[in-house]
Amino acid sequence: MVASKRYPLQQTSVGTLAVRAGVLAIAAFVIVGPLASLGVWSVAERWTHGSAWPQRFGLRYWTRMLSSDFLEPLRLGVTIAVIVTVLALVLAIPLGYALARLNVPGRTGVLLLFLLPQAFPQLPVFASATREFYRWGLAGTVPGVVLVHLVGGLVFAVWTMTAVFRSIGRDLEEAAWDLGASTTRAFATIALPLALPGLVASAVLVFLYSLDEFTGTLLVGAPFVTTLPVYMYTASVGYELQIASVTAIVLMAPGALLLLLLERFLKSEYLVFFGQL
Amino acid sequence: MVASFTRDGALTLANYGTVWRLYTRDVVYTVAVAAAGTLLTFAVAIPACGWLRARAFGPVEFLLKVPLFVPFVVVGHALRVFLSPYVPALASSWAGIALALAWKHLGLAALLLLGAFRSVDESYLEAGRNFGASTPRLTRDILVPMAAPALAVSAILIFSSMLASFSIPLMMGRGSGPQMLMIDVYYRFGQHGDFATASALGVVAYLLAMGAALVYARRLTAS
Repeated sequence: MVASKRYPLQQTSVGTLAVRAGVLAIAAFVIVGPLASLGVWSVAERWTHGSAWPQRFGLRYWTRMLSSDFLEPLRLGVTIAVIVTVLALVLAIPLGYALARLNVPGRTGVLLLFLLPQAFPQLPVFASATREFYRWGLAGTVPGVVLVHLVGGLVFAVWTMTAVFRSIGRDLEEAAWDLGASTTRAFATIALPLALPGLVASAVLVFLYSLDEFTGTLLVGAPFVTTLPVYMYTASVGYELQIASVTAIVLMAPGALLLLLLERFLKSEYLVFFGQL
Repeated sequence: MVASFTRDGALTLANYGTVWRLYTRDVVYTVAVAAAGTLLTFAVAIPACGWLRARAFGPVEFLLKVPLFVPFVVVGHALRVFLSPYVPALASSWAGIALALAWKHLGLAALLLLGAFRSVDESYLEAGRNFGASTPRLTRDILVPMAAPALAVSAILIFSSMLASFSIPLMMGRGSGPQMLMIDVYYRFGQHGDFATASALGVVAYLLAMGAALVYARRLTAS
């Protein structure tokens, strides 16, 4: 009795398992396949046309990259990203707080204004920025690239900081005001510490955006500012596929790490922003 | 924007004439590639998300979100080296660009669609299941119709993003034949120094993105 009752149940669970394994295999091939080929390319010392697999493997390109060529773009990219992150947050904290708390007239308008460049093609905007920058002597300089990244980074930062401040109830701050704290003091001792996790998430977003930003850097930074994505592009177009693959893996690493660590903590509205990197 | 109407200081439509003469084919090409990419994205994302809605399965959901964290340039390069040893013809063709764009946008589509599908009330699915409907059937007849507005918004978002894509076509494109619009803007500006025509091309791209949004708004008000 028991066995006959269990039998169909077991059968479906085996079937379900098989389906799950099948779907997982397809998803893994589709998603991981291209990324894995980066890994294969990065250790392929010799892979001639027409061959299905590299003829010789080795870490030569990794050691070469990590010792010389690659360190300068990495250092420059990280420096720019740190400056952009600090500046964006310094601007976005008061701005986000104001947008979340105060009845600023045209609040929706301001938020929409920030979103507009994301929804429309960015390249023409970068092109006209480059032209203006030539006039001011900013084209091809690090401050020029910082400025371009800052405009994009502010979008992420203001949006997330507004959401963060909005999610913090205002009763605690009101209690502080009742006890005689000034607006600034209530903000500094109550709202800001409560917003810290969101602040960190926002900082990480802006940092990654700046590190991975390609189009604006290519236009404004050319030919003197070479960050990692630009370096990778130059290598890939010059058919130095191994060098490009090593760079690609390094570029992907922070994002992948973040996905693994923060998937549980990041809200989906933040995740949407990553689609634009 | 203003620059697109001026040439040598005079107000003119000549720049749009240049666009019309040289780039009509590229406009059609861009729209076609973006449409193909959007269709491909949804052809994968809809069944996958329907399946995930019916039975949550963490590993697959995680994998689907991975492309969100891979920057566009890296996607372009990855798909290029993935395809070129095995199907070299695909690595530098419109299909390759569409494929790479679809790969990149799969993460965004999965995120948006799963959210939309999960907000469909469980009782509808239960009712469907009681009549013996399979998961594909549930997806087609319940989830997709009920999440239609959200689906349309994500489709337009993804379509305009593909229209505006620059780094993927730059990595995977070829030297000859029709190009994606953003590549044209880049070369017009960067190599010909022709900012006026580049702006006109940019305005055309804006109009296309806006056109997609308008088509959607029309359909909303019609129904």
